[in-house]
Amino acid sequence: MRLFTVQASWNYERMVGIGVGFATEPLLEPLRDERGDEAHRAALARAARYFNAHPYFTSFAVGAQARAERDGVPPHQVERLRQALVAPLGSMGDRLVWAGWLPATAAIGLLLVVAGHPWIGIAAFLLLYNAFHLAIRIGGLVGGWRLGLDVGRALGRRELRWGLSAAPAFAGLALGLALPVVARWGAMLVAPGAWWAVAVVGAAAFAVTRWFLPALGGLRLALALLTIGAIAEVLWP
Amino acid sequence: MSTELALLLLWGTVVGLDLVSGPQVMVARPFVAGTVAGAVLGDVAAGATVGAILELYALDVLPVGAARYPDYGPAAVAAAATAANAPLAMALGPAVGLGLVIGWIGEVAMHQLRRANARRVHRAATELEAGDAAVLRRVHWFGLWGDMLRSVTVTGLGLGAAFALRELAPPPMRLAVLAGVVVVAVGIATAAGGAFRLTGSRGAVSWLAAGVVAGLVLAVLT
Repeated sequence: MRLFTVQASWNYERMVGIGVGFATEPLLEPLRDERGDEAHRAALARAARYFNAHPYFTSFAVGAQARAERDGVPPHQVERLRQALVAPLGSMGDRLVWAGWLPATAAIGLLLVVAGHPWIGIAAFLLLYNAFHLAIRIGGLVGGWRLGLDVGRALGRRELRWGLSAAPAFAGLALGLALPVVARWGAMLVAPGAWWAVAVVGAAAFAVTRWFLPALGGLRLALALLTIGAIAEVLWP
Repeated sequence: MSTELALLLLWGTVVGLDLVSGPQVMVARPFVAGTVAGAVLGDVAAGATVGAILELYALDVLPVGAARYPDYGPAAVAAAATAANAPLAMALGPAVGLGLVIGWIGEVAMHQLRRANARRVHRAATELEAGDAAVLRRVHWFGLWGDMLRSVTVTGLGLGAAFALRELAPPPMRLAVLAGVVVVAVGIATAAGGAFRLTGSRGAVSWLAAGVVAGLVLAVLT
Protein backbone atom coordinates (compact mmCIF):
# COMPACT_ATOMS: atom_id res chain seq x y z
CA MET A 1 0.00 0.00 0.00
CA ARG A 2 2.86 2.40 0.76
CA LEU A 3 4.05 2.04 -2.82
CA PHE A 4 0.89 3.86 -3.95
CA THR A 5 2.18 7.03 -2.28
CA VAL A 6 5.82 6.58 -3.30
CA GLN A 7 5.97 10.00 -4.97
CA ALA A 8 4.26 11.95 -2.14
CA SER A 9 7.57 13.40 -0.92
CA TRP A 10 9.12 13.85 -4.38
CA ASN A 11 11.68 16.63 -4.28
CA TYR A 12 14.54 17.99 -6.39
CA GLU A 13 17.16 16.77 -3.92
CA ARG A 14 16.45 13.05 -3.47
CA MET A 15 13.77 12.69 -6.18
CA VAL A 16 11.70 9.63 -5.14
CA GLY A 17 14.28 8.45 -2.58
CA ILE A 18 12.29 9.35 0.53
CA GLY A 19 9.25 7.56 -0.90
CA VAL A 20 11.30 4.46 -1.64
CA GLY A 21 12.61 4.51 1.92
CA PHE A 22 9.07 4.90 3.25
CA ALA A 23 7.85 1.97 1.14
CA THR A 24 10.82 -0.23 2.10
CA GLU A 25 10.55 0.47 5.85
CA PRO A 26 8.11 -2.37 6.73
CA LEU A 27 10.25 -4.92 4.86
CA LEU A 28 13.34 -3.82 6.82
CA GLU A 29 11.65 -3.90 10.23
CA PRO A 30 12.67 -7.55 10.97
CA LEU A 31 16.32 -6.43 10.69
CA ARG A 32 16.02 -5.02 14.21
CA ASP A 33 15.67 -8.53 15.64
CA GLU A 34 17.81 -10.27 12.99
CA ARG A 35 20.84 -7.97 13.03
CA GLY A 36 20.26 -5.27 15.64
CA ASP A 37 19.14 -1.68 15.71
CA GLU A 38 22.29 -0.24 14.09
CA ALA A 39 22.02 -2.51 11.05
CA HIS A 40 18.34 -1.64 10.69
CA ARG A 41 19.05 2.10 10.83
CA ALA A 42 21.88 1.83 8.31
CA ALA A 43 19.65 -0.12 5.90
CA LEU A 44 16.84 2.41 6.26
CA ALA A 45 19.25 5.30 5.62
CA ARG A 46 20.43 3.60 2.42
CA ALA A 47 16.85 2.99 1.30
CA ALA A 48 15.95 6.69 1.63
CA ARG A 49 18.86 8.12 -0.36
CA TYR A 50 18.64 9.64 -3.83
CA PHE A 51 16.69 7.50 -6.27
CA ASN A 52 14.97 8.28 -9.55
CA ALA A 53 12.71 5.89 -11.43
CA HIS A 54 9.27 5.55 -12.89
CA PRO A 55 6.91 5.42 -9.87
CA TYR A 56 5.38 2.05 -10.79
CA PHE A 57 8.78 0.50 -11.37
CA THR A 58 10.12 1.60 -7.99
CA SER A 59 8.44 -1.57 -6.70
CA PHE A 60 11.28 -3.58 -8.30
CA ALA A 61 13.81 -1.52 -6.37
CA VAL A 62 11.88 -1.74 -3.10
CA GLY A 63 11.61 -5.52 -3.29
CA ALA A 64 15.17 -6.09 -4.47
CA GLN A 65 16.84 -3.77 -1.99
CA ALA A 66 14.83 -5.09 0.96
CA ARG A 67 15.72 -8.65 0.01
CA ALA A 68 19.41 -7.77 -0.38
CA GLU A 69 19.47 -6.09 3.04
CA ARG A 70 17.69 -9.00 4.71
CA ASP A 71 20.12 -11.43 3.06
CA GLY A 72 23.04 -9.51 4.58
CA VAL A 73 24.50 -8.29 1.28
CA PRO A 74 27.40 -5.87 1.99
CA PRO A 75 26.31 -2.20 2.01
CA HIS A 76 28.48 -1.17 -0.96
CA GLN A 77 26.79 -3.85 -3.09
CA VAL A 78 23.36 -2.64 -2.04
CA GLU A 79 24.38 0.89 -3.07
CA ARG A 80 25.63 -0.41 -6.41
CA LEU A 81 22.35 -2.24 -6.93
CA ARG A 82 20.41 1.00 -6.35
CA GLN A 83 22.63 2.96 -8.72
CA ALA A 84 22.37 0.25 -11.37
CA LEU A 85 18.57 0.24 -11.19
CA VAL A 86 18.00 3.98 -11.68
CA ALA A 87 18.54 4.03 -15.45
CA PRO A 88 16.57 0.91 -16.48
CA LEU A 89 13.67 1.48 -14.08
CA GLY A 90 13.37 5.05 -15.32
CA SER A 91 13.69 4.51 -19.04
CA MET A 92 11.66 1.31 -19.10
CA GLY A 93 8.80 2.88 -17.22
CA ASP A 94 8.82 6.07 -19.25
CA ARG A 95 8.81 4.23 -22.57
CA LEU A 96 6.35 1.52 -21.58
CA VAL A 97 3.89 3.57 -19.53
CA TRP A 98 4.13 7.35 -20.01
CA ALA A 99 4.93 7.18 -23.73
CA GLY A 100 3.12 3.94 -24.51
CA TRP A 101 0.29 2.49 -22.47
CA LEU A 102 -1.04 5.77 -21.07
CA PRO A 103 -1.51 7.69 -24.35
CA ALA A 104 -2.81 4.54 -26.05
CA THR A 105 -5.50 3.80 -23.47
CA ALA A 106 -6.32 7.50 -23.04
CA ALA A 107 -6.88 7.77 -26.80
CA ILE A 108 -9.28 4.81 -26.68
CA GLY A 109 -11.16 6.34 -23.76
CA LEU A 110 -11.28 9.71 -25.50
CA LEU A 111 -12.71 8.14 -28.66
CA LEU A 112 -15.53 6.60 -26.68
CA VAL A 113 -16.22 9.87 -24.85
CA VAL A 114 -16.56 11.91 -28.06
CA ALA A 115 -18.69 9.13 -29.54
CA GLY A 116 -21.23 9.90 -26.82
CA HIS A 117 -20.36 7.13 -24.33
CA PRO A 118 -18.43 8.92 -21.58
CA TRP A 119 -18.97 6.34 -18.82
CA ILE A 120 -18.01 3.44 -21.08
CA GLY A 121 -14.97 5.40 -22.19
CA ILE A 122 -13.92 6.10 -18.62
CA ALA A 123 -14.51 2.52 -17.52
CA ALA A 124 -12.60 1.09 -20.49
CA PHE A 125 -9.69 3.46 -19.92
CA LEU A 126 -9.43 2.92 -16.17
CA LEU A 127 -9.76 -0.86 -16.40
CA LEU A 128 -7.31 -1.28 -19.29
CA TYR A 129 -4.77 1.13 -17.88
CA ASN A 130 -4.84 -0.05 -14.29
CA ALA A 131 -4.71 -3.74 -15.14
CA PHE A 132 -1.24 -3.08 -16.52
CA HIS A 133 -0.38 -0.54 -13.82
CA LEU A 134 -1.17 -2.91 -10.96
CA ALA A 135 0.58 -5.80 -12.67
CA ILE A 136 3.79 -3.75 -12.74
CA ARG A 137 3.53 -2.54 -9.14
CA ILE A 138 2.68 -5.92 -7.65
CA GLY A 139 4.80 -7.98 -10.02
CA GLY A 140 7.74 -5.67 -9.48
CA LEU A 141 7.58 -5.93 -5.70
CA VAL A 142 7.21 -9.71 -5.75
CA GLY A 143 9.85 -10.16 -8.45
CA GLY A 144 12.28 -7.81 -6.74
CA TRP A 145 11.84 -9.58 -3.40
CA ARG A 146 12.21 -13.02 -4.99
CA LEU A 147 15.33 -12.20 -6.98
CA GLY A 148 17.15 -9.65 -4.79
CA LEU A 149 20.49 -8.83 -6.44
CA ASP A 150 19.41 -10.77 -9.54
CA VAL A 151 16.45 -8.46 -10.14
CA GLY A 152 17.90 -7.68 -13.55
CA ARG A 153 16.47 -11.03 -14.68
CA ALA A 154 12.94 -9.80 -13.91
CA LEU A 155 13.57 -6.68 -15.96
CA GLY A 156 14.71 -8.80 -18.85
CA ARG A 157 11.53 -10.86 -19.00
CA ARG A 158 10.16 -11.59 -22.45
CA GLU A 159 6.85 -9.88 -21.69
CA LEU A 160 8.54 -6.61 -20.74
CA ARG A 161 10.83 -6.69 -23.77
CA TRP A 162 7.87 -7.34 -26.04
CA GLY A 163 5.98 -4.53 -24.37
CA LEU A 164 8.86 -2.10 -24.94
CA SER A 165 8.92 -2.89 -28.65
CA ALA A 166 5.12 -2.85 -29.05
CA ALA A 167 4.33 0.23 -26.94
CA PRO A 168 5.21 2.92 -29.51
CA ALA A 169 3.26 1.11 -32.24
CA PHE A 170 0.22 0.71 -30.03
CA ALA A 171 0.37 4.34 -28.91
CA GLY A 172 0.83 5.54 -32.49
CA LEU A 173 -2.08 3.49 -33.78
CA ALA A 174 -4.48 4.54 -31.01
CA LEU A 175 -3.52 8.21 -31.16
CA GLY A 176 -3.69 8.23 -34.95
CA LEU A 177 -7.16 6.67 -34.85
CA ALA A 178 -8.43 9.16 -32.28
CA LEU A 179 -7.03 12.39 -33.73
CA PRO A 180 -9.19 12.75 -36.88
CA VAL A 181 -12.36 11.67 -35.06
CA VAL A 182 -11.78 14.07 -32.16
CA ALA A 183 -10.75 16.86 -34.55
CA ARG A 184 -13.98 16.50 -36.52
CA TRP A 185 -16.03 16.33 -33.33
CA GLY A 186 -14.34 19.43 -31.91
CA ALA A 187 -14.67 21.44 -35.11
CA MET A 188 -18.38 20.61 -35.42
CA LEU A 189 -18.83 21.60 -31.78
CA VAL A 190 -17.43 25.12 -31.98
CA ALA A 191 -17.82 26.02 -35.61
CA PRO A 192 -20.31 23.77 -37.38
CA GLY A 193 -20.45 26.05 -40.41
CA ALA A 194 -16.82 27.13 -40.29
CA TRP A 195 -14.75 24.01 -39.58
CA TRP A 196 -12.12 25.53 -41.86
CA ALA A 197 -11.42 28.19 -39.19
CA VAL A 198 -10.53 25.44 -36.74
CA ALA A 199 -8.37 23.78 -39.40
CA VAL A 200 -6.47 27.00 -40.19
CA VAL A 201 -5.87 27.90 -36.55
CA GLY A 202 -4.96 24.30 -35.77
CA ALA A 203 -2.46 24.08 -38.63
CA ALA A 204 -0.84 27.35 -37.59
CA ALA A 205 -0.69 26.23 -33.97
CA PHE A 206 0.90 22.94 -35.00
CA ALA A 207 3.56 24.76 -37.00
CA VAL A 208 4.30 27.16 -34.15
CA THR A 209 4.55 24.50 -31.41
CA ARG A 210 6.39 21.97 -33.54
CA TRP A 211 8.87 24.04 -35.52
CA PHE A 212 8.98 27.74 -34.60
CA LEU A 213 8.52 27.83 -30.84
CA PRO A 214 8.59 24.23 -29.58
CA ALA A 215 9.36 25.38 -26.02
CA LEU A 216 6.09 27.33 -25.93
CA GLY A 217 3.76 24.35 -25.81
CA GLY A 218 0.06 24.17 -26.56
CA LEU A 219 -1.18 25.42 -23.21
CA ARG A 220 0.87 28.62 -23.29
CA LEU A 221 0.03 29.23 -26.94
CA ALA A 222 -3.69 28.89 -26.24
CA LEU A 223 -3.46 31.22 -23.25
CA ALA A 224 -1.49 33.75 -25.29
CA LEU A 225 -4.09 33.73 -28.06
CA LEU A 226 -6.95 34.01 -25.56
CA THR A 227 -5.22 36.95 -23.89
CA ILE A 228 -4.75 38.70 -27.24
CA GLY A 229 -8.41 38.06 -28.02
CA ALA A 230 -9.53 39.49 -24.68
CA ILE A 231 -7.40 42.61 -25.13
CA ALA A 232 -8.76 43.08 -28.66
CA GLU A 233 -12.31 42.73 -27.35
CA VAL A 234 -11.65 45.46 -24.80
CA LEU A 235 -10.02 47.81 -27.33
CA TRP A 236 -12.52 47.16 -30.13
CA PRO A 237 -15.81 46.05 -28.50
CA MET B 1 -21.45 25.26 1.67
CA SER B 2 -23.69 23.46 -0.82
CA THR B 3 -23.40 19.72 -1.27
CA GLU B 4 -22.34 20.16 -4.88
CA LEU B 5 -19.57 22.57 -3.96
CA ALA B 6 -18.32 20.26 -1.21
CA LEU B 7 -18.33 17.29 -3.59
CA LEU B 8 -16.49 19.25 -6.27
CA LEU B 9 -13.87 20.37 -3.74
CA LEU B 10 -13.45 16.79 -2.59
CA TRP B 11 -13.25 15.44 -6.13
CA GLY B 12 -10.79 18.14 -7.16
CA THR B 13 -8.59 17.25 -4.18
CA VAL B 14 -8.72 13.55 -5.06
CA VAL B 15 -7.76 14.11 -8.68
CA GLY B 16 -5.08 16.61 -7.67
CA LEU B 17 -3.54 14.02 -5.35
CA ASP B 18 -3.79 11.30 -7.98
CA LEU B 19 -1.51 13.25 -10.34
CA VAL B 20 1.69 12.55 -8.39
CA SER B 21 1.33 11.79 -4.66
CA GLY B 22 -1.53 9.37 -4.80
CA PRO B 23 -2.09 6.01 -6.38
CA GLN B 24 -1.82 7.43 -9.94
CA VAL B 25 -4.74 5.36 -11.15
CA MET B 26 -5.40 8.15 -13.66
CA VAL B 27 -8.66 9.57 -12.33
CA ALA B 28 -6.68 12.79 -12.75
CA ARG B 29 -7.01 12.51 -16.54
CA PRO B 30 -9.14 15.47 -17.59
CA PHE B 31 -11.79 13.47 -19.42
CA VAL B 32 -12.33 11.38 -16.28
CA ALA B 33 -12.18 14.30 -13.84
CA GLY B 34 -14.38 16.51 -16.02
CA THR B 35 -17.07 13.90 -16.62
CA VAL B 36 -17.42 13.11 -12.93
CA ALA B 37 -17.51 16.82 -12.08
CA GLY B 38 -20.20 17.30 -14.70
CA ALA B 39 -22.18 14.45 -13.15
CA VAL B 40 -22.03 16.15 -9.75
CA LEU B 41 -23.50 19.26 -11.34
CA GLY B 42 -26.15 17.35 -13.29
CA ASP B 43 -24.58 17.92 -16.72
CA VAL B 44 -22.45 14.95 -17.71
CA ALA B 45 -22.25 16.06 -21.35
CA ALA B 46 -20.72 19.43 -20.48
CA GLY B 47 -18.20 17.88 -18.12
CA ALA B 48 -17.26 15.21 -20.64
CA THR B 49 -16.91 17.78 -23.42
CA VAL B 50 -14.60 20.18 -21.60
CA GLY B 51 -12.73 17.22 -20.15
CA ALA B 52 -12.21 15.76 -23.63
CA ILE B 53 -10.82 19.03 -24.96
CA LEU B 54 -8.45 19.40 -22.00
CA GLU B 55 -7.41 15.78 -22.62
CA LEU B 56 -6.02 16.91 -25.98
CA TYR B 57 -3.58 19.16 -24.13
CA ALA B 58 -2.79 16.42 -21.61
CA LEU B 59 -1.85 14.01 -24.42
CA ASP B 60 1.19 16.18 -25.08
CA VAL B 61 2.48 15.76 -21.51
CA LEU B 62 5.35 13.38 -20.74
CA PRO B 63 5.67 13.37 -16.90
CA VAL B 64 9.25 12.12 -16.80
CA GLY B 65 11.80 12.83 -14.10
CA ALA B 66 11.85 16.44 -12.93
CA ALA B 67 9.63 17.68 -15.77
CA ARG B 68 7.02 20.29 -14.93
CA TYR B 69 3.52 19.81 -16.31
CA PRO B 70 0.06 21.26 -15.78
CA ASP B 71 -2.38 19.80 -13.27
CA TYR B 72 -5.31 19.07 -15.57
CA GLY B 73 -7.44 17.26 -12.95
CA PRO B 74 -8.57 20.29 -10.91
CA ALA B 75 -8.47 22.19 -14.21
CA ALA B 76 -11.17 19.91 -15.61
CA VAL B 77 -13.25 20.31 -12.44
CA ALA B 78 -13.10 24.10 -12.80
CA ALA B 79 -13.93 23.86 -16.51
CA ALA B 80 -16.92 21.61 -15.81
CA ALA B 81 -18.15 24.04 -13.16
CA THR B 82 -17.99 26.85 -15.73
CA ALA B 83 -19.73 24.97 -18.53
CA ALA B 84 -22.36 22.93 -16.68
CA ASN B 85 -25.96 23.80 -17.44
CA ALA B 86 -24.98 26.67 -19.74
CA PRO B 87 -25.27 26.91 -23.55
CA LEU B 88 -22.26 24.88 -24.62
CA ALA B 89 -21.40 26.95 -27.71
CA MET B 90 -20.98 30.01 -25.49
CA ALA B 91 -19.50 28.32 -22.45
CA LEU B 92 -16.98 25.97 -24.04
CA GLY B 93 -14.22 28.45 -24.86
CA PRO B 94 -14.25 30.31 -21.53
CA ALA B 95 -14.55 27.04 -19.60
CA VAL B 96 -11.57 25.37 -21.27
CA GLY B 97 -9.64 28.65 -21.16
CA LEU B 98 -10.17 28.80 -17.41
CA GLY B 99 -9.17 25.16 -17.18
CA LEU B 100 -5.88 25.92 -18.92
CA VAL B 101 -5.17 28.76 -16.47
CA ILE B 102 -5.96 26.53 -13.46
CA GLY B 103 -3.84 23.75 -14.93
CA TRP B 104 -0.89 26.14 -15.20
CA ILE B 105 -1.44 27.39 -11.62
CA GLY B 106 -1.46 23.77 -10.47
CA GLU B 107 1.88 23.25 -12.22
CA VAL B 108 3.44 26.26 -10.49
CA ALA B 109 2.07 25.11 -7.12
CA MET B 110 3.50 21.62 -7.63
CA HIS B 111 6.94 23.11 -8.35
CA GLN B 112 6.77 25.13 -5.12
CA LEU B 113 5.69 22.06 -3.18
CA ARG B 114 8.64 20.08 -4.50
CA ARG B 115 10.97 22.87 -3.42
CA ALA B 116 9.35 22.85 0.02
CA ASN B 117 9.83 19.07 0.17
CA ALA B 118 13.50 19.54 -0.70
CA ARG B 119 13.96 22.10 2.08
CA ARG B 120 12.30 19.71 4.53
CA VAL B 121 14.58 16.87 3.41
CA HIS B 122 17.62 19.08 3.68
CA ARG B 123 16.72 20.11 7.25
CA ALA B 124 16.21 16.47 8.24
CA ALA B 125 19.34 15.20 6.47
CA THR B 126 21.22 14.26 9.64
CA GLU B 127 18.33 12.23 11.06
CA LEU B 128 17.66 10.60 7.68
CA GLU B 129 21.30 9.55 7.34
CA ALA B 130 21.07 8.12 10.84
CA GLY B 131 18.16 5.94 9.72
CA ASP B 132 15.55 7.59 11.93
CA ALA B 133 12.30 5.91 10.89
CA ALA B 134 10.02 8.44 12.61
CA VAL B 135 11.68 11.36 10.80
CA LEU B 136 11.48 9.49 7.50
CA ARG B 137 7.75 8.96 7.96
CA ARG B 138 7.25 12.60 9.00
CA VAL B 139 9.07 13.93 5.93
CA HIS B 140 7.03 11.67 3.66
CA TRP B 141 3.72 12.61 5.28
CA PHE B 142 4.67 16.29 5.03
CA GLY B 143 4.78 15.83 1.28
CA LEU B 144 1.42 14.08 1.18
CA TRP B 145 -0.35 16.65 3.36
CA GLY B 146 1.31 19.40 1.37
CA ASP B 147 -0.04 18.01 -1.86
CA MET B 148 -3.49 17.67 -0.35
CA LEU B 149 -3.36 21.34 0.61
CA ARG B 150 -2.13 22.23 -2.87
CA SER B 151 -4.92 20.28 -4.52
CA VAL B 152 -7.73 21.70 -2.41
CA THR B 153 -6.36 25.24 -2.86
CA VAL B 154 -6.04 24.96 -6.64
CA THR B 155 -9.51 23.40 -6.87
CA GLY B 156 -11.00 26.11 -4.65
CA LEU B 157 -9.37 28.77 -6.77
CA GLY B 158 -10.74 27.14 -9.90
CA LEU B 159 -14.26 26.91 -8.53
CA GLY B 160 -14.14 30.52 -7.38
CA ALA B 161 -12.97 31.64 -10.80
CA ALA B 162 -15.68 29.52 -12.44
CA PHE B 163 -18.33 31.28 -10.36
CA ALA B 164 -16.87 34.70 -11.26
CA LEU B 165 -16.78 33.84 -14.95
CA ARG B 166 -20.35 32.56 -15.00
CA GLU B 167 -22.08 35.03 -12.73
CA LEU B 168 -20.01 38.19 -12.48
CA ALA B 169 -18.08 38.60 -15.72
CA PRO B 170 -19.39 36.38 -18.52
CA PRO B 171 -17.43 37.13 -21.68
CA PRO B 172 -19.23 38.69 -24.66
CA MET B 173 -20.53 36.31 -27.32
CA ARG B 174 -17.94 37.14 -29.97
CA LEU B 175 -15.05 36.50 -27.58
CA ALA B 176 -16.66 33.33 -26.23
CA VAL B 177 -17.09 31.85 -29.70
CA LEU B 178 -13.56 32.83 -30.75
CA ALA B 179 -12.23 31.33 -27.53
CA GLY B 180 -13.98 28.07 -28.40
CA VAL B 181 -12.30 27.94 -31.81
CA VAL B 182 -8.90 28.70 -30.28
CA VAL B 183 -9.01 26.14 -27.46
CA VAL B 184 -10.27 23.36 -29.75
CA ALA B 185 -7.88 24.13 -32.62
CA VAL B 186 -4.81 24.51 -30.42
CA GLY B 187 -5.86 21.41 -28.47
CA ILE B 188 -5.99 19.31 -31.62
CA ALA B 189 -2.63 20.71 -32.73
CA THR B 190 -1.14 19.99 -29.33
CA ALA B 191 -2.35 16.40 -29.33
CA ALA B 192 -1.06 15.92 -32.87
CA GLY B 193 2.31 17.33 -31.88
CA GLY B 194 2.37 15.03 -28.89
CA ALA B 195 1.56 12.03 -31.08
CA PHE B 196 4.45 12.88 -33.42
CA ARG B 197 6.77 13.42 -30.50
CA LEU B 198 5.90 10.04 -28.99
CA THR B 199 6.15 8.02 -32.15
CA GLY B 200 8.35 9.94 -34.59
CA SER B 201 11.67 9.44 -32.92
CA ARG B 202 11.02 5.78 -32.33
CA GLY B 203 10.14 4.60 -35.81
CA ALA B 204 6.46 4.13 -35.07
CA VAL B 205 5.38 6.85 -37.48
CA SER B 206 4.02 4.26 -39.87
CA TRP B 207 1.69 3.03 -37.14
CA LEU B 208 0.64 6.61 -36.45
CA ALA B 209 -0.03 7.09 -40.16
CA ALA B 210 -2.07 3.88 -40.32
CA GLY B 211 -4.07 5.05 -37.36
CA VAL B 212 -4.70 8.45 -38.95
CA VAL B 213 -5.95 6.80 -42.17
CA ALA B 214 -8.29 4.56 -40.17
CA GLY B 215 -9.38 7.56 -38.10
CA LEU B 216 -10.16 9.59 -41.22
CA VAL B 217 -12.32 6.77 -42.54
CA LEU B 218 -14.08 6.54 -39.19
CA ALA B 219 -14.59 10.30 -39.03
CA VAL B 220 -16.12 10.35 -42.50
CA LEU B 221 -18.38 7.36 -41.90
CA THR B 222 -19.74 8.45 -38.50
